[in-house]
Amino acid sequence: MTALRIALAGNPNSGKTTLFNKLTGSHQKVGNYAGVTVDTKEGRLVHRGREIVLYDLPGTYSLTAYSLDEIIARDFVLDQKPDLIINVLDATNLERNLFLGLQFQELGIPLVAALNIIDQAEDRGLRIDHKTLGTLFQIPIVRTVGPKGQGLDELLDAAVALADAPGSPTPHLYGVALESVLARLTSALETDPEFTVSYPSRWMALKLLEKDSDAKKKLGSHRDQPLVEAALAEGIADLERPSGRDSEILVSEARYGAIHGAAKQTIRRDRATVPFTEYVDALLINRFLGLPIFLAILWGVFQATFTLGAYPQDWLNQGFQWLTDGVKTLLAPGLLRSLFADGVLGGLGSVLSFIPLVIILFVFISFLEDTGYMSRAAFVMDKFLHLFGLHGQSFLPMMLGFGCSVPAIMAARTLKSTKDRILTVLVTPFMSCGAKLPVYILLAGSFFPKNPGAVVLSVYLIGIGLALTSSWIFRRTVLRGETTPFVMELPPYRMPTLKGVSWHVWDKSFQYFKKAGTVILAASVLVWAITTFPQAPEGTPPEQAMATSTAGWIGKALEPAVRPMGFDWKVAVATVTGFAAKETVVSTLGILYKVGDSTGDDQPLQTALRNDPVFSPLVAYTLMLFTLILAPCFAAQATIRAELGTKWLVFYVVFSILLSWTLCTGVFQIGTLFKIGV
Amino acid sequence: MTIMDLKPGEAFVVRGVALARETGKRLADMGFTTGVEGRLVRKALFGDPVQVSILGYHVSIRKAEAVGVTIDKVLAPL
Repeated sequence: MTALRIALAGNPNSGKTTLFNKLTGSHQKVGNYAGVTVDTKEGRLVHRGREIVLYDLPGTYSLTAYSLDEIIARDFVLDQKPDLIINVLDATNLERNLFLGLQFQELGIPLVAALNIIDQAEDRGLRIDHKTLGTLFQIPIVRTVGPKGQGLDELLDAAVALADAPGSPTPHLYGVALESVLARLTSALETDPEFTVSYPSRWMALKLLEKDSDAKKKLGSHRDQPLVEAALAEGIADLERPSGRDSEILVSEARYGAIHGAAKQTIRRDRATVPFTEYVDALLINRFLGLPIFLAILWGVFQATFTLGAYPQDWLNQGFQWLTDGVKTLLAPGLLRSLFADGVLGGLGSVLSFIPLVIILFVFISFLEDTGYMSRAAFVMDKFLHLFGLHGQSFLPMMLGFGCSVPAIMAARTLKSTKDRILTVLVTPFMSCGAKLPVYILLAGSFFPKNPGAVVLSVYLIGIGLALTSSWIFRRTVLRGETTPFVMELPPYRMPTLKGVSWHVWDKSFQYFKKAGTVILAASVLVWAITTFPQAPEGTPPEQAMATSTAGWIGKALEPAVRPMGFDWKVAVATVTGFAAKETVVSTLGILYKVGDSTGDDQPLQTALRNDPVFSPLVAYTLMLFTLILAPCFAAQATIRAELGTKWLVFYVVFSILLSWTLCTGVFQIGTLFKIGV
Repeated sequence: MTIMDLKPGEAFVVRGVALARETGKRLADMGFTTGVEGRLVRKALFGDPVQVSILGYHVSIRKAEAVGVTIDKVLAPL
């Protein structure tokens, strides 16, 4: 017998992911479906000897054609035709959850519902007669408590039973007016039986009445398109005439009509309770305290991240130093030793050394996410971000960007509209990532010994300012268009579980590890190659060898371009190697200034930089800005390409080169003119 | 009147959504449909966005969207 293919669907925050993880355990992988950037996870399990493949669909509130997630969810069902859908319903919020469930039912695939988090609903005084509810909608409903694993066996029993003996057809509960229009439209659609095999007629009819752009496109393959078009125009007119309202809205109203009717019969409220969440909100997003509290949390997270992160960072640095020394004693001097010690270990070491920082930041952010606070932060920040054309939800990717741009750029997927998503991806690299920090620390420490902290902070703030300004500019140029609605659920506060948080941290860090293992490693080897070849004769001092290498040659060729910013060829070389990973700038400067590539101890490099007539506090500050603005490392660039395509990557790289050059030249020239920091 | 005419804490019954295309559809799909009861919970610092309780859950919508939801004010707070 072939495996039963089941799609798991549900609202965001319905406990769908927890249920998926409980059901499949560790037997899951990320599946990629043609042409989409959002991953659909799939997992395998065996239930009473029956093999089941479970597909985790994106969590959505509806199935319109307005957002990528919703299109993916419905196209998955239409294209892959799973045997069954399990719809996860949040019992504390049943009506809105059923709204999505009915839309999956319209797709014509047998549906089983999990009445999830039923324990919380009952604590709140809700009594749900799930048997009657199931009869009304012709959907088997099983009570589950995801985190405790309750009801899962019963859920799978119901699923297998339904798959083996498909239940009764979809009930027609959308009211006389809509149902009669639907009857006419479906019979027009059914004149082409092949078409209705691909696109179930009731679903297609409803989508057409909802004026769904994607459904209209699909109608192009219908044998008798004019007949359907005529029936559609008549149907829309019949619906809209009596009330003067949009048929798109009337379809939603009809679904909710059926749901409210059923809810009246089956849901009772024992007592009215003010949920705990409301008390917390009264404080956390209080009109006047909300912003200060948000800023305090943000400050606390960064303070804790950098304080805690310093220790493991140090251990890792030492570990890699030890490994490098080991390789140097094991292998005879020569190309191979240099490749492993300087190229592979040097590159990986510099990247891995700030992984602790990134992971600690992700732990805090995932914790806040799982409590439900992040959407509150978006609520508090939306007005401000919206002024610059960004979205309240843009701030999460931007915040992750302080750790590493790779997962941050991927996190922009949570934004519904394509324009918001592109915009957020484009400004995220302005958030100084963890790898840029060593560069700032070196330069600020060397040239601003009195208040290095304030100088570094100013660079971070300039980054935020540039993100907002460029967003404002993009919104009025390349990404013009109407603003998308900001309709965002504020889910109830929940206590995060250790499992949940570690899952999210792993998920984000994994994206980073994958890049580190591929792109960054390749880039490190490439940088090693251009700094090693053509090989200098035996016994050449390292700084001279670097000067005569390909990298040195590139640096000298670029010198005229970087001269207006006050840099010489050495900085140009460091910038080029910085594309592998930004902190490589530090180790490259170390080699060029003959102080070795020991990144652990910056003292000699600081002195060497101070003694170089090319450098001054002004040049150092300009270099910090240049590092901040210039295109991010190759790994981040590869991520931008994967998320937005080559066109946007090229746009972004050109934009950042122009912006960094113009701004840094301006700063250096004006600074020189007024003798600031020279 | 619309949601924006309410003070925080006041309850309402939805008459309809007077917005076109995506915004209107999005609001209807989230439960802003005729006859549904709700409550304006609070406004953010500059009166935008606003937090609304509807169908037993909380949602944040912008001022631009809230003025598109026509309502009747009702007395009984939920």
